Amino acid sequence: MRFGAEDKLSRVPNLLSTELDQETVLMSIDAGAYYGLEGPARTIWEILETPVIFLMLVQRLVAEYNVTPEKCGADLQEFLAKMEREGLLRVE
Amino acid sequence: MFWRPELPEGEYTLWISMPGRLQMSLNAYCAYGLRIHSGLVCPELPVYSEEAGDPDVVISLLPPVPPPLQALENGYYEVRPGLFRLSVPGVAQFRVEKGCRILIEPLPDVPLERVRLFLLGSALGALLYQRGLFPLHGSAVETPWGAMIFVGAQGEGKSTLAAEFHRKGYRLLSDDVCAVALGAQGLTILPALAQIRLCADAFERIGAPQGSHFHVDKYMVPMAEGYCPDPMPLRAVHVLRHSDSENSASWEAPAFELILGFQRVQCLLENLYRPHYLKGQGTQGDLMRMAGLIAQKATLAAVTRRRNPEEIERFVGFLESAWAERFAVFSPEKRN
Repeated sequence: MRFGAEDKLSRVPNLLSTELDQETVLMSIDAGAYYGLEGPARTIWEILETPVIFLMLVQRLVAEYNVTPEKCGADLQEFLAKMEREGLLRVE
Repeated sequence: MFWRPELPEGEYTLWISMPGRLQMSLNAYCAYGLRIHSGLVCPELPVYSEEAGDPDVVISLLPPVPPPLQALENGYYEVRPGLFRLSVPGVAQFRVEKGCRILIEPLPDVPLERVRLFLLGSALGALLYQRGLFPLHGSAVETPWGAMIFVGAQGEGKSTLAAEFHRKGYRLLSDDVCAVALGAQGLTILPALAQIRLCADAFERIGAPQGSHFHVDKYMVPMAEGYCPDPMPLRAVHVLRHSDSENSASWEAPAFELILGFQRVQCLLENLYRPHYLKGQGTQGDLMRMAGLIAQKATLAAVTRRRNPEEIERFVGFLESAWAERFAVFSPEKRN
């Protein structure tokens, strides 16, 4: 699965979250599964609170972390695919 | 013959407050830090002696209703924001409102002991959720290091361990449901002893066929000395587990391992009391945030030991050393 530059990304509803030290903990009510997000993953989750297009997400991460847009885009593809598989991400 | 007016939802109070129709004796109790006035005598609850002030919770026993009981959304229970309903075949129907009122309609001639089984378990449990507390299914004791909670699957020895601590002179805070509250003094455990073993668990999980019998096993704890009536700061939550290793004659020290990362939140939520009573209430997000807070402020540990009932005394000693090693003793000033 490859995300296009204009794909609109957001969190799925029906997730519970809480802050724990440096981590954001998510719980999927439907699956009863738990996830811990740290560092950039946590930043991405925070950005996804309001729907954002893929390209914009890359730009915001590049502004915050010391990473090239290419590397950031590639890593993000992988991370978002994982999130989507786990049912945490909504793509429009 | 049982006469019962047709009332729209939510107007029960109007009816029960009319004089002459229903005799209500007020029994004052204190549990989970709440002042409870009950129309049903509950010898299992600590008696509240001071007269002053309005009660936090009113329990009303309404006249019996003829069977069958109302069918509810999930078979025997229904949860909405601020409203919990429970229909127990052969026993009673309960209505828990806004964290401050419990209405009970028993079936004719049902032993009140059975009614109390569900009142003190399920109905009060649902009320704790309505009040925004975090009810863990487990026992709790007061120690010099703060209050300690023991949770774990059925049969892991939560109550047995509490009983052993009690025998050694520790004061109990709870033997079945530990309500954790967030207040000005941080996280505390609100004390409550039900003094009743809730064998209703099986019913709660699978539902019971009509006419089935519930067993009520009671064990008495002398309230006055053995019970801590005040909220105590929470120090640690222990998840009790048994190892698979074979029993042998020699003592084998249990493993005391800290639970880290998001597993802390997971283990707290997994040990909530009757978590299905939370769905539909609309407060899951608050509970989740509270789990995060508890995980940050309290220590969470998995304690794994062998399945050997004779080692309970040494197990208590082991926990005392583990606590002394890790925690500072609470000074009285810090408590207030």
